[in-house]
Amino acid sequence: MNPFNYNGGVCVAMKGKNCVAIASDHRLGAGRLTVSTDFPKVFEMGPALFIGLPGLTTDSLTVVNKLKFRVNLYELRENRKIRPHTFKAMVESMLYERRFGPYYVASVIAGLDPETDEPFVTAMDVLGAGEVNEPFAVAGTAEESLLGLCEALWEPDLAPEDLFETLSQVILNAVDFDCLGGAGATIHVIEKDKVTTRTIKTRMD
Amino acid sequence: MALSKVCGLDESWESYNFEAPAPEVSGMKLNQPRLSLDEFAVGLSMPSVDVNQKVVQALLEDESDVQVEHQKVANPRALFLHGTTTLSFKFQGGVMVAVDSRASSGQQISSQTVNKVIPISKYLLGTMAGGAADCTYWMRVLNRQCRMFELRNRERITVSAASKLLSNMLYGYKGYGISIGSMIAGYDKRGPGLYVIDNDGLRVAGNCFSIGSGSPYAFGVLDTEYRYDLTDKEAYELARRAIYHATMRDPYSGGNVSVYHIKETGWVKIETQDVSDLFYKDRGL
Amino acid sequence: MGDFSPYDDNGGTVAAIAGQDYVLIACDSRLSTGSTILSRFTPKIYPLSKMTVFACSGFHADVLTLIKNLEVRMKLFIHEHGEEMSTKAVMALMLPTLYGRRFFPFYVRPIVAGLDRDGKGLVASYDPVGTPEFFDYVIQGSGENLVHPFLHNQIGAKRTLSDVPVQAPPGLTLDKAVKLLKDAFLAAAERDVYTGDTVTLVAMTAKGTETMEYQLRRD
Repeated sequence: MNPFNYNGGVCVAMKGKNCVAIASDHRLGAGRLTVSTDFPKVFEMGPALFIGLPGLTTDSLTVVNKLKFRVNLYELRENRKIRPHTFKAMVESMLYERRFGPYYVASVIAGLDPETDEPFVTAMDVLGAGEVNEPFAVAGTAEESLLGLCEALWEPDLAPEDLFETLSQVILNAVDFDCLGGAGATIHVIEKDKVTTRTIKTRMD
Repeated sequence: MALSKVCGLDESWESYNFEAPAPEVSGMKLNQPRLSLDEFAVGLSMPSVDVNQKVVQALLEDESDVQVEHQKVANPRALFLHGTTTLSFKFQGGVMVAVDSRASSGQQISSQTVNKVIPISKYLLGTMAGGAADCTYWMRVLNRQCRMFELRNRERITVSAASKLLSNMLYGYKGYGISIGSMIAGYDKRGPGLYVIDNDGLRVAGNCFSIGSGSPYAFGVLDTEYRYDLTDKEAYELARRAIYHATMRDPYSGGNVSVYHIKETGWVKIETQDVSDLFYKDRGL
Repeated sequence: MGDFSPYDDNGGTVAAIAGQDYVLIACDSRLSTGSTILSRFTPKIYPLSKMTVFACSGFHADVLTLIKNLEVRMKLFIHEHGEEMSTKAVMALMLPTLYGRRFFPFYVRPIVAGLDRDGKGLVASYDPVGTPEFFDYVIQGSGENLVHPFLHNQIGAKRTLSDVPVQAPPGLTLDKAVKLLKDAFLAAAERDVYTGDTVTLVAMTAKGTETMEYQLRRD
């Protein structure tokens, strides 16, 4: 079985005006069985920095722990908060270290630059290749659906509330077409001095 | 259709007539009754490419390995619709039939509103699991054969005979890759009847069945609560709950749960409910 | 010879919306094989009769053969009964036509769309061996996964599954539907390399048929 489809799950991030948002679904499967419906795949890496890791869950958890360790070490050494660009480079190099035996995770990063408050989103494949100039980033089992919805629904300069609404519609409708995603979703909207986390209801089947 | 209008035929049934393919059973061509309106008759044609027989053969046999990614071989088989939970059981009030409504191709949901209970006659229902087109097509063939039986013999066909007709037809195509797992449920002169049939020619009578990717989960509920002397209400609730719990655990089942009850007077549809609504009602949300 | 395949995927997306008093069918016009564009203007909509059109992506040779088969059957019907087949009848004809090739299927993703005798819109989609699906909107082809959720969001998201209509609600006028499908194809062309060049929209009402064309990405 394809390791990307074993546990299932999706992540999506989107830029707004002076804000970003990142969302994931709640389903955790094991092949043809739904094990849990309370398993968000977005992890906090700093006050305004989040990473979503859909893919093989055992690898996601390993990657998250290793990243947290490296981020802590970086922040102690540099005595400042890590910038999303730097964090992206960190993830990139960490994933590429495993060039010949990769972690089966895709990653979606969303954050605000601690100095300039510039919004940042990116999505990477298993080896850390990613694009930074797109206004949205998607990964997981409903990748195509998410991409199509983002393309059709996203507009420039969305305010935090509108960004939340748009991203909700994107993830809600995408997982409706994905057998391996869904069962609720969590959305984090990241602004300069606050992060709003909300859980939305989706279809549960 | 001009003739159908003269006969006062229901419009939704126009051009439902077509030639049933005649399978060869032990070298003997089965005598197929012909309707007068079968100008759209089709048999099932076989591939006739002989130079490339091997490739064609591989395509016919392979279902899972050939993917529709664009660099790979384009194989229509990968686009067939799959995935299901269906169940049926006999009880003191007749036969219950319940199904989900999801169709998926691969991990993509292609429909949440498929009707997986196919009426064969007023007293007979068939359920659909496996290839959607295979089920739809062969149930239509069975539908016609049952009607022909009634017209010829002036009595209703038994569940046993109907299921055997289908089973025998499918046996003629054994090994060709047809995929059907179906329950034929009904009420006849012998009382309630319930048979499981599949594409290999299997045909088994029984009291309580479930078929499909979600069937292990449905059986979990069904086997715990099932008794022959369930009241009608209890039976509806059990059928609904077994499908509902299966859709929660099985990623390839979902959508609506539809419940049917077959009584001495024929089948009735009891309800269709969105399983997601059932979930939130369950939790009081 | 080892590499021979009886199938190819020529890409492309087709979609349709059934309204209370119209039916709208859309397709892109790109024909490709692998990463090569064979044609930039081969729309995938084919008229079958006054009331019915057929739209199909997949393997172009199979699409053309399928249409030939359908046309023959429809012509025979006219000679036999002295009238054209209704849209509903064409929709019912699809299953035996496609299933007749069960053991060597056509690589096709067909849509049949048209008006019924009261002028109401009807659309149906099929899998390669003829499983019919009747819905108020359908989409098939290489851009399906990208755009289907968008149409669901705009048309189908608010209703419950146990009550799915055959026609879109009266609020979805023809003008709105045109705008919706145009947006859908713009989004598909943006991300699907097999969809692009132009989008052709055919609107059918009791009054007649109107064809519209808009540019899509050409890269």
